[in-house]
Amino acid sequence: MTAYEFSSTSRAVLRSLVPVICPPAAHGLADVIVDHMALTLGASPAFLRTGIGAGLAAYDLGAVARYGRRARALTGAKAEAYFAAWEHGITPVQQQLAKGINQLMSLSCYEQPLMMEACGYRPAGWIDEVSRKRLAVYGDEARAQAAAIITPDPLPPPPSGSDAVRRPSQSTAETLENKSHGRR
Amino acid sequence: MVAARSALHEGTKPANVFTRADIHGDTVLDCDVVIVGSGAGGAPMAAELAEAGFDVIVLEEGRYYQTRDFTADTSAMVRQLYRDGGATMALGNPPIMFQEGRAVGGSTVINGGMSWRTPDSILDGWRERDGLDISPASMEPYFERVERRIHVAPMDESAIGVDNQLLKKGADAKGWNIIGNLRNQVHCAGSNRCAFGCPTGAKQSALVSYIPRALHFGARVYADVGVERITRNGKRATGVMGHVKNADGSRGFHIAVRSKLVVAACGAIHTPALLARSGIRSRSGLLGGNLSLHPNAKVVAIFDERVTGWQGAHQAFQVREFAEQGLGCFAAINMPPSILAMSFPHRGAQLGQLMQHYDHMVLAGLLCEDTTTGRVRTINGHPQAFYQLSPHDAANMLRGLSLLSELLFAAGARRILLPFHNAPELQSPDDARRLLDNPVKPSNWEVVTVHMMGTAKMGADRAGSVTDDTGFVHDVDRLLVADASLFPTPVRVNPMETIMALSTRAAGRVIENRRRYIA
Repeated sequence: MTAYEFSSTSRAVLRSLVPVICPPAAHGLADVIVDHMALTLGASPAFLRTGIGAGLAAYDLGAVARYGRRARALTGAKAEAYFAAWEHGITPVQQQLAKGINQLMSLSCYEQPLMMEACGYRPAGWIDEVSRKRLAVYGDEARAQAAAIITPDPLPPPPSGSDAVRRPSQSTAETLENKSHGRR
Repeated sequence: MVAARSALHEGTKPANVFTRADIHGDTVLDCDVVIVGSGAGGAPMAAELAEAGFDVIVLEEGRYYQTRDFTADTSAMVRQLYRDGGATMALGNPPIMFQEGRAVGGSTVINGGMSWRTPDSILDGWRERDGLDISPASMEPYFERVERRIHVAPMDESAIGVDNQLLKKGADAKGWNIIGNLRNQVHCAGSNRCAFGCPTGAKQSALVSYIPRALHFGARVYADVGVERITRNGKRATGVMGHVKNADGSRGFHIAVRSKLVVAACGAIHTPALLARSGIRSRSGLLGGNLSLHPNAKVVAIFDERVTGWQGAHQAFQVREFAEQGLGCFAAINMPPSILAMSFPHRGAQLGQLMQHYDHMVLAGLLCEDTTTGRVRTINGHPQAFYQLSPHDAANMLRGLSLLSELLFAAGARRILLPFHNAPELQSPDDARRLLDNPVKPSNWEVVTVHMMGTAKMGADRAGSVTDDTGFVHDVDRLLVADASLFPTPVRVNPMETIMALSTRAAGRVIENRRRYIA
């Protein structure tokens, strides 16, 4: 995993997109959402990071022709309309960038404890509860399986008459040996 | 809290597991067998050969984790356990996202644990069409052995969540064939975290089954090691060359392993790339070709009742009604809010309104037995998959989504969201049936997969296969493939058990020829 940080341009554009992409309840989480996106991209292929960085720069500058200011400075209806224009853009590149940013930001948004709680999603407590219950009720069986894992049980020879006794690996070996003899 | 669930499968790192912290310089290792990859193919091979007395080294690119490391932090788990953070993609129209595990235990650490034998009709097809000396009867002892080792069992009823009960209710209402899932688990507790590393230790992934067994019988496991190429002396494989992967992903010390047998078990994407990087070609032209994917598509159904799908076992049932028609199965699969949110095209307030129903959602998917193939190309040493969903398979998936939606409405769903851009929600069974009236543009599909297969196809005919029917690569001595690359065709079911059984079968043949490989 690579530690990854957004450029100042990318970060500013992404912060400006939080109100466009995330639900209102998450608007106060812009910095942590963008930080989380950087973590996610750090684990992603380098070409994806490069592509998103270049795409965000183009997105930022592209707003100048239409609004006379960069995308990072757009707010409210203008920010919404500009992102929608990319979502339905005439080039696949625009569409893919908008889709990719929407996906990444939605992921990071709903990784925030506040947003998970809003969904009623509380996995840590559930994991602990069922883990304890499992060990209390089935601990002996779990230990028996752990013991069975290291109990000797050698693989028996392939049964006579089955396909396994043909040892097809030999055909390759024989071919190689024959070739080798031929060269001599 | 953590101590309560870490009483089993935990402890200090075994002495014969080595990580980047244990390697302090360029290293040369010797062994009988080096296995590249520690998942469903590599781990059984390592365990069987180590128990038979072979000196085995397993090299794994990912890290070594223990059960206690698997937490409720979804995105941290994805970053740590998935290759490229789960952002891998087969290029085509539509592009298809696929996921691979990258950790000791491979994809078995992040799969759902579905454990199904290869269908008889598939094995019969491999024998009849591809000339493999294989049959349901001859595979029986290997399936039985694998199932014992990874504890394949039906789910405890108490662990089955509401989402899966609703799937069953809908299938029963339609009169469709639905079966309880068989999974490699010891009393799965229903934490529904299979895809992020089982935090209870119930799932018997290779990490907690075959790898401990291999270690017990003396195998050495090197984590954090990327393999660049297979070394050869003429036609004979003699080992591998690689490097330690530093924490920041950069290349660290060199590692060379000299061995008498090399096993490539890196999965259907990376095995052909490893062979290609090593200068190995197949006269069949099929190395990297014949890629099949079991394309998956999903719908999200919203119910009036509370579902709380994250409480309960992952995929407790499979609907098999249409398996013989290319729709392998339908299943309910819960995902955390973040993963689900990223799959929706919604944003802003609309996304918030939709996600308010998270606890009332059932995420259900289908698996398509694909009829076309793609290719893995190796570009600058890196694999890139290319795959074009065929019109036939797209039509079949559309039919599957229509049927699955009908099932969910029969179970009481109020509305259903589809995996197409700009698609309206379905409000009724009639809407579901009308889906078939309007073909969906390929670019509008959202398709994912976790089953990559077939890129080093085995077969009797050298002109039509990459390996023989054990997995030995044609025209290279002492190089064995042991993963889903070998499959001549997709297997219609979750492939883990097929991979493990074929690997066990191949291990048996190596053991039978022990003198040849250890001499």
